[in-house]
Amino acid sequence: MRQSSVIARRLAAASVGLVVAAGAAACGPKGNDAKGAGGDSTPHKGGTLTVLNSVPQEDFDPARLYTSGGGNVPSLVFRTLTTRNRENGAAGAKVVPDLATDTGRPSENATVWTYTLKKGLKYEDGTPITSADIKYGIERSFAPELSGGAPYLRDWLSGAADYQGPYKDKKGLAAIGTPDERTIVFHLNKPEGEFPYLATQTQFTPVPKAKDTGTKYEEHPVSSGPYKVVENQNDGERLVLERNTHWSEDDQRKAYPDKIDVRSGLDSSVINQRLSASQGADAAAVTTDTNLGPAELAKVTGDKELASRVGTGHFGYTNYIAFNPKVKPFDNAKVRQAVSYAIDRSSVVNAAGGSALAEPATTFLPDQKSFGYTPYDLFPAGRTGDAAKAKELLKEAGHPNGLTVTLTHSNSKDFETSPEIATAIQDALKKAGIRVKLQGLEDNDYRDKIHNVKTEPGFFLAHWGADWPSGGPFLAPIFDGRQIVKDGSNFNNGLLNDPSVNTEIDAINKLTDLDAAAERWGALDRKIGEQALTVPLFHPVYKRLYGKDVKNIVISDWTGVLDISQVAVK
Amino acid sequence: MSEALVATQAPGTDTPVPGASGARSFWRRLRAQRAALVAAVVVALLVLVALFAPLLTALEGQDPTTYHPSLIDSARGGVPVGSFGGMSAHHWLGVEPQTGRDLFARLVYGARVSLGVALAATVVQVVIGITIGVASALGSRWVDQFLSRVTDIIVAMPLMIMSLALLAIVPSSFPRPVLVTLVIGLIAWGNIAKIVRAQTLTLKGLDYVSAARLSGWGTWRIARRELLPGLAAPVITYAALLVPINISVEAALSFLGVGVKPPTPSWGQMLTAADVWYQAAPQYLLFPAGALFVTVLALTVLGDGVRTALDPRAASRLRVGAGRRRGAGTGSGKGADA
Repeated sequence: MRQSSVIARRLAAASVGLVVAAGAAACGPKGNDAKGAGGDSTPHKGGTLTVLNSVPQEDFDPARLYTSGGGNVPSLVFRTLTTRNRENGAAGAKVVPDLATDTGRPSENATVWTYTLKKGLKYEDGTPITSADIKYGIERSFAPELSGGAPYLRDWLSGAADYQGPYKDKKGLAAIGTPDERTIVFHLNKPEGEFPYLATQTQFTPVPKAKDTGTKYEEHPVSSGPYKVVENQNDGERLVLERNTHWSEDDQRKAYPDKIDVRSGLDSSVINQRLSASQGADAAAVTTDTNLGPAELAKVTGDKELASRVGTGHFGYTNYIAFNPKVKPFDNAKVRQAVSYAIDRSSVVNAAGGSALAEPATTFLPDQKSFGYTPYDLFPAGRTGDAAKAKELLKEAGHPNGLTVTLTHSNSKDFETSPEIATAIQDALKKAGIRVKLQGLEDNDYRDKIHNVKTEPGFFLAHWGADWPSGGPFLAPIFDGRQIVKDGSNFNNGLLNDPSVNTEIDAINKLTDLDAAAERWGALDRKIGEQALTVPLFHPVYKRLYGKDVKNIVISDWTGVLDISQVAVK
Repeated sequence: MSEALVATQAPGTDTPVPGASGARSFWRRLRAQRAALVAAVVVALLVLVALFAPLLTALEGQDPTTYHPSLIDSARGGVPVGSFGGMSAHHWLGVEPQTGRDLFARLVYGARVSLGVALAATVVQVVIGITIGVASALGSRWVDQFLSRVTDIIVAMPLMIMSLALLAIVPSSFPRPVLVTLVIGLIAWGNIAKIVRAQTLTLKGLDYVSAARLSGWGTWRIARRELLPGLAAPVITYAALLVPINISVEAALSFLGVGVKPPTPSWGQMLTAADVWYQAAPQYLLFPAGALFVTVLALTVLGDGVRTALDPRAASRLRVGAGRRRGAGTGSGKGADA
């Protein structure tokens, strides 16, 4: 996978991203239950924060991390040119400066982006951070042995498509200029108004060339953030972070605790059990990768004390049914519309964990302003489906006696593309005369099938998460015809190659006014929706427990999960 | 002529051969074991429940696949509304969390899968076991060597791992219950084959078999007419003990997600969905677990009873109900046909 095409990496990255999202993205309050528990809610410095996780921080290398907005534990160690605004809800979906003095200055039609570093920035050893270190950090993310990051840099930087990283190619990337120690200039091959979002990713972390140990760098990455790694056991299973005394305080990371103790490799039920018991060190504990499941939620909501210790968040994410219009009978738009009308979103939401863990979706874009969310419901199914309307459409489509179709899904137990969801859809479509056969596949098999244009089924469950809170990375990979990959991992499920859609995507990418761009993404989403290539099902809601002594819970709409840099335990 | 031969020759051998009088005494000895009797009644009830699942659910007024969203609390993760998992006159055992499907209907339909797959797999195992065992015992040295080594390999194969591997590679369009039956049946016939081979070798040396051979009978006819009746007792005994094992394997495979496909209910599948609900909706886990427990226990006790009744001299492994078997003639070892 490492040396394969951009798209294969994109798939790998997307799956990692989704894991990160599902695991690390469990808090983004729309409502504000963000006040710390306990009487004195003012956060103070000091104490040890314990992190109970299931997935170890294996790739603790800024080149290899695929994150939606800088990651959680990694963002304590890695600073980037820009970062996400560490605030609750929609305000947290804004991009703000981090190492740089602003979010970037575009020129030449948004194909050139210039950043200036703040003064006095230092690494954990006291040496200064320079613009050349950021360039080097980006270059090493192109090395095949350090793959894992998002594909955007390779796609966007001029002449970077075949770059193999600084170990093989000492000349480096000509697309990145460093005229002086505090200035860095990026030259892109096309206008990209969303470059400031990309600059939040960990690939924009400075890496001192003299300290680079290649694939071993992840054992002790050099810190530019508030904490440094003092212990890393079993490939990220146990991490101990202590204060980095050379950190020049930034506006974003609060860094209240003196020490962070990360313990991974725990079963998710154990994590939730320990957080609900909240005994000893677990009282000052959070998790950055484990959500409450439906059964655990049933227990927590019955207990006021526990319910007060749940952080709720919304991450930009959509679960949907995908159609492949090359496969009969889904070549007929009326059949696709009939399915859209027949769908019972209340039973799907229940299968996904109930109304507290999933919100019914009628738009492909997540229902957040930063994505440009424009409400629409083109094939209104109500809460429980419109079987009559669906039957009518089937008749028009030449199927007066209904039809039999196969729904492909994964057998993993994720409440997203899993048998529970598929069975709920099967039950709903039955009422409209659509008999659904289920084809449950082992998860890897399922992914291989749905992302290969040669094997893509006609009717399957899919999901998509945001790389950053904007319509661009949400719509383009799924609906841009030029992103259809013939021999590799394809994400354009509907194989849509509509010139008017492609042109609009290019036009929006030129905009550097992100609010204006958001509005156009929303309109484009609605326009694409008319083709009924997907049936949006639901947007997940993340709920996570935290310990009794934990204060200052901040959950942005960017990550949907509790921001570890804001948490206090005193 | 051969029937008479069997009846007269069997006494004095080590092998109880159920002739007409054998069957009668077998029933007498089985009936005398109270535990086995209770187990037999339970098994009979379970079979009836499985056979009449549509009737029972119609009586309740439900079916196993209809969703009842109004019976679950969506805001609380889909936990059933009401006490004891939503038990009511309409839903005798309550409803399933997240879907509201009727638990009683799913349980009785699940019995069909559990019992059906287990019994069918046992038949497959017995047929293969007898064929291989007899062929091995009667064949030439080379045939015996070859078949015995194949049997050894089959016995050594880990059942669960092989089943998982086989079920994973077969296309999902193949009917799942049939596939599970075949996989279990084709992997776990080794012990039956070994028992049959050993028994056949013993029988082969007996006078009445030699007599048959001397009178010019072919191997096939000897096997069918002289050997098979003598194999009945050990095969029935072992088969009775295989059924509960097969039930557990089917449940385990469904639990691991490679068994029957949704929305067809099976006990193993119910268990896998229910394991996270043990705190919030305990009855969801307890009913399928209890059903599985009772079924396996009843079948095991019954299997043990059959074994005791067929071969009184072999002491019961479990000693289930041993204290109450006074009249059964177990201790004396001198049954009517022995």
